[in-house]
Amino acid sequence: MPRSSDTIAALATPAGTSALALVRVSGPDTAGFAQDIFGAPPPPRHALHADYRAKDGRLVDDVVATFFPAGNSFTGEDSLEISCHGNPFIAQTILEDLFARGGRPAGPGEFTQRAFLNGRMDLSQAEAVMDLIHARSERALAAANQQLRGGLGRRLNDLTERLLGALARIEAYIDFPDEDLPKEDRAIVRRTLESLAAETERLLATSHYGELLRDGIKTVIIGAPNAGKSSLLNRLVGHERAIVSAEPGTTRDFIEERIIVGPHCLRLIDTAGLNPAPGSIEKLGMDKSLERAAEADLILLVLDATTALPTLPEFLAKLLSTDRTLVALNKSDLLKSESFDLEIYSNLRSVSISALTGAGIDPLITEITRMVDFFQPTGQDDVIAINARHADALTRAKVSLQAALANLAASGPVELLASDLRGTLAAYGDILGKVDNERMLDQLFATFCIGK
Amino acid sequence: MIYNELPFDVIVCGAGHAGVEAALAASRMGASTLLLSGNIDTIAQMSCNPAIGGQAKGQMVRELDALGGEMAITTDVTGIQFRLLNESKGPAVQAPRAQCDKKAYQFRLKHTLELQPNLQIFQATVTGLLYKAGKVVGCQTNLDIDFLGQTVVVTTGTFLRGLMHIGQNKNEGGRLGDFSAKSLSSSLTEAGIQLERLKTGTPPRLLGRSIDFSKMEEQKGDLQPTFFAFHDTRGPEEMFHVEQSGERRIGWAPGSEQVSCWMTHTTAQTAEIVRANLSKSAMYSGEIVGVGPRYCPSIEDKFVRFADKPRHLLFLEPEGRSTNEYYVNGLSTSLPFDVQLDLVHSIPGLERAQLLRPAYAVEYDFAHPTQLFPSLESKNVENLFFAGQINGTSGYEEAAVQGLVAGVNAVNKVRVTAPMLIQRNEGYIGVLIDDLVTKGTREPYRMFTSRAEYRLLFNHGSAEFRFLDHAKTYNLLSNNRIKNIEAKQAKVTHWVDYLEKNRSTGGTWADAIRRDRVGAVLPDELIRESAPVRDEVVYRVSYQGYLAREQRQVEKLSQIEKIRIPADFDYPAVRGLRRESSLKLAEFKPMTLGQASRISGVNPADISILMVLIGAEAGRGRDAS
Repeated sequence: MPRSSDTIAALATPAGTSALALVRVSGPDTAGFAQDIFGAPPPPRHALHADYRAKDGRLVDDVVATFFPAGNSFTGEDSLEISCHGNPFIAQTILEDLFARGGRPAGPGEFTQRAFLNGRMDLSQAEAVMDLIHARSERALAAANQQLRGGLGRRLNDLTERLLGALARIEAYIDFPDEDLPKEDRAIVRRTLESLAAETERLLATSHYGELLRDGIKTVIIGAPNAGKSSLLNRLVGHERAIVSAEPGTTRDFIEERIIVGPHCLRLIDTAGLNPAPGSIEKLGMDKSLERAAEADLILLVLDATTALPTLPEFLAKLLSTDRTLVALNKSDLLKSESFDLEIYSNLRSVSISALTGAGIDPLITEITRMVDFFQPTGQDDVIAINARHADALTRAKVSLQAALANLAASGPVELLASDLRGTLAAYGDILGKVDNERMLDQLFATFCIGK
Repeated sequence: MIYNELPFDVIVCGAGHAGVEAALAASRMGASTLLLSGNIDTIAQMSCNPAIGGQAKGQMVRELDALGGEMAITTDVTGIQFRLLNESKGPAVQAPRAQCDKKAYQFRLKHTLELQPNLQIFQATVTGLLYKAGKVVGCQTNLDIDFLGQTVVVTTGTFLRGLMHIGQNKNEGGRLGDFSAKSLSSSLTEAGIQLERLKTGTPPRLLGRSIDFSKMEEQKGDLQPTFFAFHDTRGPEEMFHVEQSGERRIGWAPGSEQVSCWMTHTTAQTAEIVRANLSKSAMYSGEIVGVGPRYCPSIEDKFVRFADKPRHLLFLEPEGRSTNEYYVNGLSTSLPFDVQLDLVHSIPGLERAQLLRPAYAVEYDFAHPTQLFPSLESKNVENLFFAGQINGTSGYEEAAVQGLVAGVNAVNKVRVTAPMLIQRNEGYIGVLIDDLVTKGTREPYRMFTSRAEYRLLFNHGSAEFRFLDHAKTYNLLSNNRIKNIEAKQAKVTHWVDYLEKNRSTGGTWADAIRRDRVGAVLPDELIRESAPVRDEVVYRVSYQGYLAREQRQVEKLSQIEKIRIPADFDYPAVRGLRRESSLKLAEFKPMTLGQASRISGVNPADISILMVLIGAEAGRGRDAS
């Protein structure tokens, strides 16, 4: 097979300042590079504390380097991991030095691709690793690990085995019409299919949750101009990112920040203020705000406690359902009275805050966490979050199961029932790999006494 | 001595159901053909039950007929009882089955062979093959006469080192009363072909006048018999075309004067006898090493594996019109003869039955079919083809279809033309061959409809349409019949289109058919069409959605089916493949990526890797399609 002919290098830790940065190298020249850089070949799989010297002999940093020989490394090739100090400049210098020596920058996902091509992982593991790399919160990490260990695989295997049992009960009566079989009992088949449909549905429900875990929970901040949306975003993010100004209507472009709230990752999106009498440019911004709000997983409605409640566009008012809307009653520091009448918004959860002083921010975060916890499908003992490819296959499985159940209810042609069950089997197989028909026959011959 | 200086194009060793189809296909294509049989009185003998067809098998016989095979027509004119199985279910899973007159069947086939131009028949037992530079060039016989051939088709059935068991009693032979082919095994092994043992069994035969049928339930044939051959596309001259020679042929008007089968069952006493004598059974005493089929268990197996089932159904099947012999379907056993007597007498209606032949189990050599290309040519020895039970299959129908494919491809090999490769998505024949050559088998392989992914596309009525291209390419049918099939297909297409486009009450005709199903009203002109045309039209219209879905799956899969893997592909050098996959792929040498994906133990990740590599190579200028 054509082995990778070149050596790739990339920063394995996120860009930016951190305590440590990790540079990863993989490919046939790795051992040669290491020999040149450290002056001696690094011992396999042992952390080596050494000076990193660039090609021109200059000392770059003192680093910890670990060499993994081909075969047992992550990619299956010779590879090297270099931990340096987390200054972006140092990591960049090391990378540039590796490129000067003949390495090249790794493309997105190229380490995983090499691992996959070298047989170090199967397709679902590769996908799980990709998720792991992109994991942005503890929950996402747990889900990715779970899948890597085969949590999803085990469940699907169980579903497949039960489906094969149901299929065998149907096929026996098609293929052996002259045999002395017990009277056909489709009720058993129906019960099995019902439970499969329910469990497929439950797995499918994790699809959206999986997206939330990987991409973050889309949280759109809306409110009237100058209600304090950008100040709240800044307060939550902890540094000034949005342009905060006392003049209403300064946020026209959307500002997006990721924050970790408890175990979750939130994608905070600040929007233009909703002005009841907007100018034409503002109108454009507002329409976009409404679009964003429609796509949101969570809406943070910021209200100014010192002014009258704004009249919101009807379209927006409809979006404000109790399960995904949280009211942040801002400027509580300026409020004289203790209570505030939320009028039409009184059915929504609300927290009094001051984006300026930071008062009420902790309770707000607690409330956000509680709401987001509800997004996680219940009744699962372990976290499973399927990806888009899985969701596609499971949707097909669900459609086929529903068709099969409809057929059973209408006492339709049995070969069509079987066709739908095979459709389901193929859909499960698209995640796990093809299911050999022998497994169905094994169940058939174990269940029924067939033979002349 | 060497019989012939100029080699035959094709030599067929064995004249069972595979051998006769191979010999007929080859000679009908115009190739000079020799058929060798150890005993030409048993040509096309039904060694086990006197019946053809049944679920999946019946569909295969119709496919065989669409490729010019002889089994269908022979069954129709020698059948004594016809039944359409699964009549209450949909057309895709309906299958014809017929009881045949065993002697009439084989005499008619022998006569057909005798009258066939380009075909020579000779009685001799093949003792070894002649090889030259890795190719087969002919065969040796027990008469010390050698025959030269450009290709050889081996169809040994159960005769290769055949060993029969009745309790502790052992006899060499492929069938009771017949011989065993012993030295041929070592001749195959010498050429690097791996052999292993399989086992099958057959029940006792009884004398009809000693049976009390009044204690049994009668099973009659259908009033309207369903035949195997496509009579509607054959001219009357083709139906009995061999009669043109002026010779009188065996056979009768198909479906006339049907006879009945009879049903009875085992008793508590039967179970007791089996259990008490289990250790005397050849199967259970360790005498037999070969693996038997799960779907055709001996009576011992049934009582052991399904101990809580109180009784097992038995069918008494007549072996012919001119004999009083009956076959006891369901009572296969390898128990000693004295136990067999008690066993038979414990069954209602058989209390005083006389045994004409005992039940026995037979062990025989088979060659792992994964050593074959999909053309059924050996990967080890060029010009050598295998068909039938030697490939690990069971059943007359499974054997016959392989025989035809091997015969056609032997001729293609001689003529240096592309082999006829039948794909999995074309019919049961394709499923059978693909399963054999890619997955192999550990028990005698029998076809089931559930083995096919596209069962709905394989309704028996459509076989002629599905195989029309092959029939035309390899010239397997008369021009007249091809013309008739094309006309029939045009009618079907026209009517399906008409029903979808024209309005009846409350939507199109097609909507009405899908809604009302059986009771649907059809246009008068369609009603006047022949029943095969009408049935096919109604089937296609009523199952339209499902058929379209299967068709889409076929098209999707045929893409990886088309990606060819170079024959010299170096699997061990692919570091990404898991060891198990690499070993299997190197052993099976799949020809396409589709075939590779069906080898057990090769997972989707392995296929992705191969796809990347083959795709990469193709990108560098190699043809990947």
